[in-house]
Amino acid sequence: MRYIYHLIVLYLTGHLIWSLVREKKFWKQAGIAMVLIMFLLRLFLIE
Amino acid sequence: MKAMLFLGLTLAISLLASREFLSMHRPDEIFPSQGLTASRMLSDYFPALKSTPGDTPVYVYEGKERGGHILILGGTHPNEPAGYITAILLAENIRVAKGKIIVIPWANASGFTHSDPQEGSPQRFDIKTISGRRWFKLGSRVTNPVHQWPDPTIYVNPMGQKLAGVEARNLNRAYPGKAHGNLTEKVAFGIMKLIKEEAIDLGIDLHESAPEYPVINAIVFHENSADLAALAQMELQAKGYEFRLEGSPPNLRGLSHREWGDEAKIKAILMETPNASHGRLKGKPSISLIVDGQDKYYERASRLGRLFVPFGPEGIPLKSRVGRHLAGLNAILKSLTELEPEKLVEVENMPDAAEVQARGIGASLR
Ligand SMILES: [Zn+2]
Repeated sequence: MRYIYHLIVLYLTGHLIWSLVREKKFWKQAGIAMVLIMFLLRLFLIE
Repeated sequence: MKAMLFLGLTLAISLLASREFLSMHRPDEIFPSQGLTASRMLSDYFPALKSTPGDTPVYVYEGKERGGHILILGGTHPNEPAGYITAILLAENIRVAKGKIIVIPWANASGFTHSDPQEGSPQRFDIKTISGRRWFKLGSRVTNPVHQWPDPTIYVNPMGQKLAGVEARNLNRAYPGKAHGNLTEKVAFGIMKLIKEEAIDLGIDLHESAPEYPVINAIVFHENSADLAALAQMELQAKGYEFRLEGSPPNLRGLSHREWGDEAKIKAILMETPNASHGRLKGKPSISLIVDGQDKYYERASRLGRLFVPFGPEGIPLKSRVGRHLAGLNAILKSLTELEPEKLVEVENMPDAAEVQARGIGASLR
């Protein structure tokens, strides 16, 4: 169960990083970065 | 380029946040009294808990002479500070001359490693002691989901009662536990094993609840402990403490005051004090709300007659809640001896309720 959870979070984290790299607008990048923090914390199971 | 900058910034913020989060996994310090006769872990009673986040310290205070065996639990719910602060206060002060007292200050150790989401509660609160400010964690009511995940849609507890999924992580719904169950059920199983192996006569589970919750300032008792609870209530009344008596409902399964009595046949009692930082009507959560216990919304609710306890501008500070627990414990121990003289437990240096109220909790802590 834990691995499935990790895979889902990893997949979404990858997508977030990809969209961060492709995004041109400053505020949109900032927004993605904010969401990415949560995903990184989740990915490493920091609670 | 800009993206890389953002990525770096994201990593930096994550790192800082993770340090803060992970600091919750460090257990709080405790300085047991000279009267400590054995320091164990729950896994010594149930080895499957070894090196799991459910393992927790067990402090044993045994007298030279025989007497009753008492188990005192704090931190069944890690967001109910009066419960575990009372347990810590006992562990750091008592000496037992007759009988045996076992203290588990952080019964659900995993629950102390995180806090309830969306509550905005502080992660810690501080009490001034003789050696300065001492910090204590404020945890969550339930086991950390990182340690036990996912929750079922409906939780069927070891006694077959159906509950909401989140209750799968509530230690006080998991009794008598399951040897091969989830982490919370294993902790409950370990506590049951301790009760049997240590031949406990009476178990006391220390809690807090919201001022708008009807079971409050209460002694909840298993039917086998009705006489004990009634006698203790009279004793408390004589000392000026109002306590409600609540019988443990027979069809509410998985709770300490039910299953300790049913399964291990011991006397079982649970005590509740009123905690504003716990309730739904509170204002901004803060350290002061936990320690000083003042809240203008609760004051207003009290004026409107919505609460089950009096709540004035002075609030209900932690020291009075701990004082209530201490007074309750004292009365219960005294009543136990009156009912069964061979179960006498003689405790020296028991923190005094009135003194804690007057001089503060910190005066009895290191
Ligand atoms: Zn509780």
